Amino acid sequence: MLELRNISKSFFRKEALNDVSLKVNDGEIFGLLGPNGAGKTTLIRVINQIVEADSGSVRFKGDLMTENDLANIGYLPEERGLYRGMTVEAHALFLARLRGLSKKDAATKIDYWFDRFQINDWRKKRIEELSKGMAQKVQFICTVLHEPSLLILDEPFSGFDPVNVELIKQELLEMKMKGKTILLSTHNMNSVEEICDRAALIHNAKKIAEGTISELREIPGDVSYLVRFKGNMIAFVNALWTGYDVVDKQVLGDDRFEVELQMRGDSTFNDLLKVLMSSVEIEGAWKKQASMQDVFIQLVQPKTEAHEE
Amino acid sequence: MKNSWLVAMREFKERIGARSFILFSVIGPLLILGLVYILFALGGNSKQHWNVLIADPAGIMDNKIMAGVDENVSYSFADGYIELEEFKDAKKYQQFDALLEVNEKVLSNKTGFLFYRNKPSVRMQTRIQYQYERRLEEVLVKEFTDLSVKEFRKIKQPINVSFRDVNDPKGEASNLNGWAGFFFGTLIFIFIFLFGMTILRSVSREKSNRIVEVLLASVSPRQLMMGILIGIGFAAFLQFAVWMLIIGAGLYFMRETLFPDMLDAAKMNIQELTLSANDLSYQEQYFAAREYNQFVELVFNQVQFGNTILFFLLFFVGGYLFYGSFFAAVGATMGSESDGQQFVIPIVLLLILSLYSGYYVMNYPDSDLASILHYLPFTSPVVTMVKLHMGYEAGHAYEIILSFLVLIISSFLMLMIASRLYKNGILQFGHRLKFKHILKWLKNT
Repeated sequence: MLELRNISKSFFRKEALNDVSLKVNDGEIFGLLGPNGAGKTTLIRVINQIVEADSGSVRFKGDLMTENDLANIGYLPEERGLYRGMTVEAHALFLARLRGLSKKDAATKIDYWFDRFQINDWRKKRIEELSKGMAQKVQFICTVLHEPSLLILDEPFSGFDPVNVELIKQELLEMKMKGKTILLSTHNMNSVEEICDRAALIHNAKKIAEGTISELREIPGDVSYLVRFKGNMIAFVNALWTGYDVVDKQVLGDDRFEVELQMRGDSTFNDLLKVLMSSVEIEGAWKKQASMQDVFIQLVQPKTEAHEE
Repeated sequence: MKNSWLVAMREFKERIGARSFILFSVIGPLLILGLVYILFALGGNSKQHWNVLIADPAGIMDNKIMAGVDENVSYSFADGYIELEEFKDAKKYQQFDALLEVNEKVLSNKTGFLFYRNKPSVRMQTRIQYQYERRLEEVLVKEFTDLSVKEFRKIKQPINVSFRDVNDPKGEASNLNGWAGFFFGTLIFIFIFLFGMTILRSVSREKSNRIVEVLLASVSPRQLMMGILIGIGFAAFLQFAVWMLIIGAGLYFMRETLFPDMLDAAKMNIQELTLSANDLSYQEQYFAAREYNQFVELVFNQVQFGNTILFFLLFFVGGYLFYGSFFAAVGATMGSESDGQQFVIPIVLLLILSLYSGYYVMNYPDSDLASILHYLPFTSPVVTMVKLHMGYEAGHAYEIILSFLVLIISSFLMLMIASRLYKNGILQFGHRLKFKHILKWLKNT
């Protein structure tokens, strides 16, 4: 869907992007991560042709991106604004028409989306009368109104309450189901784990990681598994026999424990579960992965320190 | 272009929906009408009446000053000499506005003194001087010649030199016409300035409320700028039309009801008036010219509305685009709203310069500098208005077309420069604008 090749850009000798390449596949939700000032917004602006790259190219659906492709993109910037004096409906209509919809199509789409987000009562309200959350909802609708094939969302969850964050997440997942591609820049690592298929991390103007979420969360070295169970700890250890090493254990109380294990020899996760099933009451068992939060901090911090030195 | 149009229409609707727009559309022309009314009223027959006491201890004037009655001045004669202090303070003299002192030697030194309590208007001064002069002429003629007063006045006539342009030997192009052009040029610049500031505010507001980033994802900076310029331009144009309508209706109303007499007089041509006054004394001519309200003449007779409106519109549009792109560029480059104010000053200076050059051309229409100013896009909107009203020489009408072309081409160049600045400056926030930024943004394509 979208391919960036060797994008570089600097402002007043300050490097904002240094040879960044990445690929967003059709129908996936792609997370663009990075600390503040890493160059994410500049990259997004380059894609949207708001800022011209000093070098490199942007390809959209296989071809070099042109101005005409912009109508196929929905863009929600991080620093978003609306004309405060306009009514919600007029504003949505204006932006939809700028994105190439006819007046009639725009009106139909507005009806659909306003119903869906239950904001029909706000139609005639002026933007300045809306609360921040309400205005953000309107902004989100304005972004998706023309049903673009690529959505670029810069911090879409900021400013929303948890209920609305959930609403937006569900909406994004539904769009993905419909085959839309979504590029998401966010600091909300939970949502990255929940909805993103792949992600790239940008730091100090460079891309430092790219991959599927599970690839990124992979912990280098030996793989560990966690098992939470209710029962006797001695029975648990006895059941393990020689195929597994206990790395760590945590007493949760009420005869419940969480144990970290590593495989020895050819043992698999399934073997482990079979062995344990007869001995203890398993409440949960999973492969140990780093959280995106940890991944983020790990990738960024040493470099930040080095940078600061 | 479609996107520019959408932006323009949005901007237009927002402008005309603003309360200030509606207010200014009505109050502006009413203020101008009020001003016109004051000028008419002051320039017309003022109802001011003066009581003048003539102290003529030598009896030179023989207690006479004129045959008829002047409704603006009445004269009384005092016996003997009046001390100035006494005139100033004595109760019996309080009814008099001025004391005209006729000394014994007036026939040789030809001087009189008028002591006033409140300074008389120029019209009143002319009036009193005229009547005093006429009476003394009679005395002089009687005393020193055998001529009749009429014969004397014929001889006394001053020798006039009428300065005429060789290309306009009949002197049809009056300076008054230049003023009409200057008025129209000024009007153009008032609108450019007012709506230029609107452009600046609109752009900087779009920038500060960050809507611009959403817009720029669908519209190129040039389209966006064009849209804003066109939208605000339409609003300016609409407001101008409303102004003209209200002012036109107001002038018509004044002509029909408030100043019918004066406007009858205005139907005379000033040249005719001067010609017919040729056998009058210089003082009389001066007097006649003063009596005549030039402003009325200007408004109702000298403005050639047909030509004016066409070229006014063309230069209005050209000048608006030219200066408008300056304002938009400043709006886009400023980091904060107050930051940009200082960058408005050079534009305002340019506007003032162009007004001054209009005035200059009126006075020196054929100078070399005038022809430069005529083509310079900064000044041409005012200067061409002045020149248009003063009249182009036969066969030189192409000059105004040429000047318009120069203006339009410069406008488009300016638009290109401004949209470059706009493009590079509009997404820079919170910086302190420095000249090197501008240079850098200009270089960036």
